[in-house]
Amino acid sequence: MRQRHDQTEIRIAAGATVDVLRTLHDDPAFRFEVLADLAGVDTGDSMQVVYHLWSETTPDWLRVIVVDLDREDPRVPSTTFLWKGAEWMEREAYDMFGIIFEGNRDLRRVYMPPDYTSFPLRKDFFLADDASRSPAQGVRHMEQVHAPAESLAPIRRSRAR
Amino acid sequence: MARSSGRLSPAGRIVVPALGALLLLIVVLLAGIASGIIPAVVGWIGGVLVANIAIVRFVVAATAILLFTVPTAFVIIFMELKVIAFMNLRIGPNRVGPWGTLASLVHGLKVLSKEDFTPTGVDATVFTLAPVVTFVASVMAFMVLPFGPGLFGVDLNVGLLYFFAVGGLTVVGLLMAGWSSFNKYSLLGGLRSAAQMVSYEIPLTLSVVGVIMLAGTMSLNGIVQAQSGSFLDWFVVRQPLAFLIFFIAAVAEANRTPFDLTEADSEIVAGFATEYSGMRFGFFFFAEYVNVFLLSGLAVVLFFGGWTAPFPWPWPIHLLVAPGQLGLGLLAIAIGAPIVGSLLLALPLWMLRSNWPFWQAWIVGLALFTLLALGALGIYLLINLEALLGIVWFFIKAYAFVFTFVWMRATLPRVRIDQLMGLAWKWLLPAALANLFLTALAILVVHQ
Amino acid sequence: MATQIPSLDDPQVLVQTPATIYDAIPPYAPRTEREAEFYTLRDGEMLVNMGPQHPSTHGVLRLVVKIEGERVVDIDPVLGYLHRGIEKLAENADYHHAICYTDPLEYVSSLFNELAPVMAFEQLLDLRVPRRAEYIRVLACELNRIASHALFMGWMALDLGGLTPILYSFIERDEIVEMLAALTGQRMLFNYMRIGGVNGDLNHEFLSRLGDWMGHALRQVEANTTLLNENEIFLKRTRGLGRLDRRTALSLGLSGPNIRACGVPYDVRRAHPYSVYPELEFAIPTREEGDSYARYLLRVDEIKQSIHIIDQLIHQMPDGPVMANVPRRITPRPGRAWAAIESPRGQYGCYAISDGTDQPYRFRIHDPSFVNLQAVVPLMPGNLLADTMAVMASLDPVMGGVDK
Repeated sequence: MRQRHDQTEIRIAAGATVDVLRTLHDDPAFRFEVLADLAGVDTGDSMQVVYHLWSETTPDWLRVIVVDLDREDPRVPSTTFLWKGAEWMEREAYDMFGIIFEGNRDLRRVYMPPDYTSFPLRKDFFLADDASRSPAQGVRHMEQVHAPAESLAPIRRSRAR
Repeated sequence: MARSSGRLSPAGRIVVPALGALLLLIVVLLAGIASGIIPAVVGWIGGVLVANIAIVRFVVAATAILLFTVPTAFVIIFMELKVIAFMNLRIGPNRVGPWGTLASLVHGLKVLSKEDFTPTGVDATVFTLAPVVTFVASVMAFMVLPFGPGLFGVDLNVGLLYFFAVGGLTVVGLLMAGWSSFNKYSLLGGLRSAAQMVSYEIPLTLSVVGVIMLAGTMSLNGIVQAQSGSFLDWFVVRQPLAFLIFFIAAVAEANRTPFDLTEADSEIVAGFATEYSGMRFGFFFFAEYVNVFLLSGLAVVLFFGGWTAPFPWPWPIHLLVAPGQLGLGLLAIAIGAPIVGSLLLALPLWMLRSNWPFWQAWIVGLALFTLLALGALGIYLLINLEALLGIVWFFIKAYAFVFTFVWMRATLPRVRIDQLMGLAWKWLLPAALANLFLTALAILVVHQ
Repeated sequence: MATQIPSLDDPQVLVQTPATIYDAIPPYAPRTEREAEFYTLRDGEMLVNMGPQHPSTHGVLRLVVKIEGERVVDIDPVLGYLHRGIEKLAENADYHHAICYTDPLEYVSSLFNELAPVMAFEQLLDLRVPRRAEYIRVLACELNRIASHALFMGWMALDLGGLTPILYSFIERDEIVEMLAALTGQRMLFNYMRIGGVNGDLNHEFLSRLGDWMGHALRQVEANTTLLNENEIFLKRTRGLGRLDRRTALSLGLSGPNIRACGVPYDVRRAHPYSVYPELEFAIPTREEGDSYARYLLRVDEIKQSIHIIDQLIHQMPDGPVMANVPRRITPRPGRAWAAIESPRGQYGCYAISDGTDQPYRFRIHDPSFVNLQAVVPLMPGNLLADTMAVMASLDPVMGGVDK
């Protein structure tokens, strides 16, 4: 539990997601009925899923972070049973990070074409003009970009835990 | 020959052979006249034409009407562009011609010059025929519409019936276009048009039965004649409900906003016309605008007294002077009037503007006189030739209706298909039947 | 060996099996349960592709509509035709640079796109913004809100077949856009908000234009709405259509006018006040009906409230600087920040993570259009094809925002 500005942050494990969110949503003491945002985060070592919630009962935003998802096979239970609107946001997180939301009945790519194979917002996906990230290499050509990340600059790992 | 033509200028290469051909033609003609062959042939053709005057009249009328549709469509398209622009607080077309009047002509040329495209998968025969069917149906219905006294294609005694029968064929063309296009939007548009036009045909036809009963005839000429007199004799006064039903159904028949579901651009792109391009597309639009004019004209004929003036002329319309009686005096007037008139007009100009030489004032006077004389002649013709006046009245009334069509397009949103059908079957049809019943009752009461 | 996925660009596909294109059935195996269910047609059903080039899908949305006759059975929105990867681009740019990437997101109300990231970055920096800058921000945003709602009113009418209202509302929008151009130097993509303030102080031209406009703003709104508000056809087309109840709306995560039309008074300006909104006096209009007509009327009410807010802002405008002292290169301490604002389409959020460098580590934009557009899926079945546009227009998605 952390508090900064107008945000309260709690961190949970993937296994506890359903229980925690259900309690926050249904319990009359909390009543976090508005799912303000659902975002994926790639910290470089692991994946995270971040929920922002709003309730009439508190002036703060509540940030629930599901931490320490396996980077190779990130899995987290879907919250579409609480918020139907989470469906597309989960699809987006899947599309961009490859996070699997178990229980989402429509988990397909939402922005990228269906035959696309990588996950663009992961930190091992480099942009073509990513010159600022690797000054030594300068501007790379497009063909090199989708090459395995090991051959390029090291992954930028988050120091923000 | 080749060497001599080589020495000619480019223009000469065209002019010299043309002059030669003309000379040859004149020689042949002279020989033909001298030998009596040409007069005989002309006489024979003339005899045949005179013998079949009804057919000749029909062909001439049909050609005239076919030609008449072109400027009509252009004028209505221009009107639509400009009127909607003004209602939208826009300027509208203003580049081609004065005030953009040639804009619709240029639109027509653009459509003509576009590629006539037949997509893969369409039923090519039906696809090609559809615009023709639509257009021909519209033009055929024009034949019975009287524009003025004695000015009509044919005066059928079942004119109104013919009008609806032929006008109803338009839907066949639209359905053909929708079916053959191999496109779902087209199919939806075609089926919508079928449902819509078949449904609205019924209230449209039923609403005019009251008029037929009052006029006692189905000839459009007869109906107009039954309304002659002042505007109180128009059938809109005696059949207001019928007029309302007729007008709503006519808007639906013409596929105009708010009933333009067949080409609802925000829903089904362009409906039946989605896959059409070039002049085929142009024909659909031609047909639509011809239809607008046609239904406006029909509304005028049935309910607004056709070519008749809204009030009887308040003074005797015959001028006492008949030009034919003057004889040589007419010649004297024709020569003398311009001289005297222009001098009379020039005199005050010359006297007031002392720096003008006399000849300059005289030229201005002559111009003024010409304007005045043309105006007087126009008024004289209008008053003395009833047909001309009738045409003017007819067009004023018809274009008032066309304006209403355009006005509605600028103002109203579009209805939905179920609301459209509901309106036809639940409101217009019972209302038309009630109107029919009341009219019959009224006629019965009055006649007893 | 991997299965060959036939590409639609392949001429062989076009010539041999035109049916695959016309039927809108994707040329690959279904990926999910829902996709398999959607693309299995029962007897009498057909798929119609609305978009990505369609006159009224508000840009490049593709709606695959399953219809039976004219009745919509199911609907599957396909997104991504305008996806520009703005989040990724912003993560590779420094903080100042990231703001200008957000401008073209929701291109009809760009100031809001800038405000949320700017507020998030200020939280990361623990920065306090001068009061005059806050007032100018709110003033510019409320003007932009009116411009956006004016556009909505026009589009709504256009999608229902009315030609004229869009040109009337464009008069109002254009006056505001010109005004903002005088303030920011740009008509649409303003790039006006800065970390720690705004780009420039109020200038004479802006103020004189604003004064002129305020004189007739309310009257103009009333005049523009007379064409539609009580138009019988418009009422028939929108009233009772696309009705959402309170619980469904909350569950779908709707926000903005769409949820307030269902009777939920969720407006970030009041629910979680930011900037100078606590000092201002304004009402949050709500409606109970939850149908397309209510959503339309609610936006008209919001325009009036915004004019009221602008009036107060002009009179309470404090003096002072418009920019805090912010260095050219900023390196916030590692941390996370979330800022949400009320954009014309709903709650617009920005979630930023700093890792101590001069580039945001994670830059997440939560766009209300994206969430609101989802509502079309439960709303459409059972309605007619023509209603798709009435519902879509009343939800007011902007594809630039949906597709990021």
